[in-house]
Amino acid sequence: MNNEIITATFRKQFPGGAEIVVENVCIGGGITVLFGASGSGKTTVLRCLAGLETPDEGEIKFGGEVWFRKSGKRKAKGEDIFLPPRKRGIGFVPQDYALFPHLTVAGNVCYGLNELPAAERAARVLETLNWLGLDGLEHRLPRELSGGQQQRVALARAVVRRPKLLLLDEPLAALDTPTRLRLRGELRQLLRQLGLPTILVTHDRFEALALGDDVVVLHDGRNVQQGAVPEVFSRPVNLAVAEITAVETIQSGQILETRDGLATVAVGDARLIALAGDLPPAAREVYVCIRAEDVILMRADSVQSSPRNRLAATVLALVREGSLVRVNLDCGFPLTALLTQPACEELALQEGTQLVALVKAPQIHLIPFTR
Amino acid sequence: MKHLIFSIFAGAALLFFVQTNIHAATVTVFAAASLTDSVKQIAADYEKTSGDKIVFNFAASGTLARQIEAGAPADIFFSADEAKADALEKEGLLASDIRKSLLGNSLVIVTAPDAVAVHSSADLTNAAIQHLALGDVKIVPAGTYAKAYLEKTGVWQAVEPKVVPCESVRAVLAAVESGNVDAGIVYKTDAAISKKVKVAFEVPTADALKISYPLALLKDAPQPDAAKKFIAYLDSDAATTVFKQFGFIVLSSAPAK
Amino acid sequence: MSGAEWQLVGFSLRMALASLLLVLPVGLALAWWLARKDWRGKALVETLVSLPLVLPPVVTGLVLLQLFGRRGPVGSWLHNIFNCDVVFTWRAVVIALAAMSLPLFVRAARTAFEEEDVKFEQLARTLGAGEWRVFFTITLPLAKRGVLAGTLLAFARALGEFGATIMVAGNIPGRTTTLPVAIYAAVQNGEDAHAWTLAGVSAVIAFAAVFVSENLLRRRK
Repeated sequence: MNNEIITATFRKQFPGGAEIVVENVCIGGGITVLFGASGSGKTTVLRCLAGLETPDEGEIKFGGEVWFRKSGKRKAKGEDIFLPPRKRGIGFVPQDYALFPHLTVAGNVCYGLNELPAAERAARVLETLNWLGLDGLEHRLPRELSGGQQQRVALARAVVRRPKLLLLDEPLAALDTPTRLRLRGELRQLLRQLGLPTILVTHDRFEALALGDDVVVLHDGRNVQQGAVPEVFSRPVNLAVAEITAVETIQSGQILETRDGLATVAVGDARLIALAGDLPPAAREVYVCIRAEDVILMRADSVQSSPRNRLAATVLALVREGSLVRVNLDCGFPLTALLTQPACEELALQEGTQLVALVKAPQIHLIPFTR
Repeated sequence: MKHLIFSIFAGAALLFFVQTNIHAATVTVFAAASLTDSVKQIAADYEKTSGDKIVFNFAASGTLARQIEAGAPADIFFSADEAKADALEKEGLLASDIRKSLLGNSLVIVTAPDAVAVHSSADLTNAAIQHLALGDVKIVPAGTYAKAYLEKTGVWQAVEPKVVPCESVRAVLAAVESGNVDAGIVYKTDAAISKKVKVAFEVPTADALKISYPLALLKDAPQPDAAKKFIAYLDSDAATTVFKQFGFIVLSSAPAK
Repeated sequence: MSGAEWQLVGFSLRMALASLLLVLPVGLALAWWLARKDWRGKALVETLVSLPLVLPPVVTGLVLLQLFGRRGPVGSWLHNIFNCDVVFTWRAVVIALAAMSLPLFVRAARTAFEEEDVKFEQLARTLGAGEWRVFFTITLPLAKRGVLAGTLLAFARALGEFGATIMVAGNIPGRTTTLPVAIYAAVQNGEDAHAWTLAGVSAVIAFAAVFVSENLLRRRK
């Protein structure tokens, strides 16, 4: 599933100085998330892959097919290639769905099937609408549909042609929060069932975690890390990625000692044990990254447990987020933990509660300080 | 600032009504289009000796008559047919007793130099003649004369679908010169001044109506005395010589009616 | 209104409709190019298209006369090869009407195309549609209102066209005499009642066309 299907290296300049520089992005089959903050260029990268925007120079290949090639040098002008979107065999779903307002749902969905004979066209449309739970809506106009329905029609329109590649731009962003959470699971199922190589743009880390197999992280127009989702999210390669993937606790620390592949790090008043991993031997100052969901809270300290890091913590604040609770602690440095609501109640947590925070050494990620 | 703008506008408005009278008198002549070149030359000679200025409006006689009826300021009406002058007389717009039928003319059929040959009105029925320019019979005397001729020679029915009506006899001439029509009927005097048309056929007097150019003073002429002087000059030997040079027939100077 | 007067109105309407057959394809193409593309010399094209709006109509008529007269570049070719005359025929009327009403149509259609969101056209391309299909199934339907308003304006302008028409087509009753030309001739011939009747018809048609057009332009969704 991870043989490279798309390889892309290109750059695009914008008036005003902003620039997108993508180098050696390799995307395989499966669902790849283009992840980054707003303005990081993810949508533009997606549109370049779709052929809706043209980079200033570079190359984009799909399988063995060159979709785009442009050399910055004048001499090579004759070899420039641009395959227009209609020949790329893609399915594209923009953030606002762009359903044709003057066509019905059926009209929208069958728009891309012009080359098929009428009977087959009708059958395919019906089949796709059925599969997406849109039966009975064939003759409605887009403005008569709910957000979730519009999203599914847009998806239907894109997939009915059996594209080679599916491109989704922030598929859940246009929906309100409860709908978004509900449809996230549905979308994952649908995408899995389709089994098409899919590229999905999002700035929401939970969406990325939920929907993607692989992720390409973009920051300021540049790709900074790519790999399997769990890998990238738990092992950000630098501070920027760590901040983008929203690791909740990032504190500066000093390496006191490195022995047997373990590093002792002083953070604030506390001492932590983490994996030295691929730290350069002379590293002294580091950033210490701990994801909130990797923090375990415990009432009593007497039990023997495996996590190397046991910190005395005081609850500073509790923030509810749906069925989860974000707990801000003081352990000698600020630490954030993420607990379920029931867990919170069981531990009877409130401001001022004193307890023990546990973090396993492998889940403390050290990033060398770079100036 | 407001005062300045007001004065400018007031001044401009006043100028609208003021008439500058630099010359002794300005005589306005409304004359048939076919008289353009001859009358201009005569007037130029006249201006040298008399000190008066002559201003023209050359157009189809019918057009001129309409303008006079609508109140256009004119001293003299020099028409290419009696009917237009009669109409004005009936409306009381002509000064009594000052009307002479001064000139005559003849009709010719003209074609472009490289066009198919026409030797009679019957040739106009030829398929090679696709467009025939004539003066608009409603306002151009030359057109009325031409239609009468074509009716008399029995070809009007056949020729009518090809007719392109023009708004003056000079417009007919221009149409033939441009090559956009195959033939036209104009006065002999018009054909004479154009180098770009060929006179294919001269209409014999027997087949044509009598062409007569009445010259009249208008009742509401702004400059009646100066106008009378110019009318007298137009009837003089100096003027008639010029008319004859252009090919006009000079009729006797007895009053028409 | 007499039979002859109705025939005149009918002729004028037919000529205006025929001119639309020229204006629509040329106008749509021009409007699309001006709205969607950019190229060196675009300003020149914009100016040329707008010229008939500002030039005295008789100047446009003069240019057409030079082009389509029997000795002109286009006219001589038509005359010699197809034995087809333009000047002083109904063809000149249609050409004159089209030339004068084209700028109005292009302006309205261009604005309509420019106001449209290109995202729909882009999406249509990802679905495999070629440029012609995108134009006829997406661009044009979404710009319907503006294009229709432009068509009505062009039609009204064509019906009211005088200066260029009288230069290239003249006033041949039954064959090139349009409503405005007939009104002018009627005034010249002193047929005032006739002139006023025709003027009235002209005014009614123009009013209706502009009224509907303005309504279409105002009701934008």
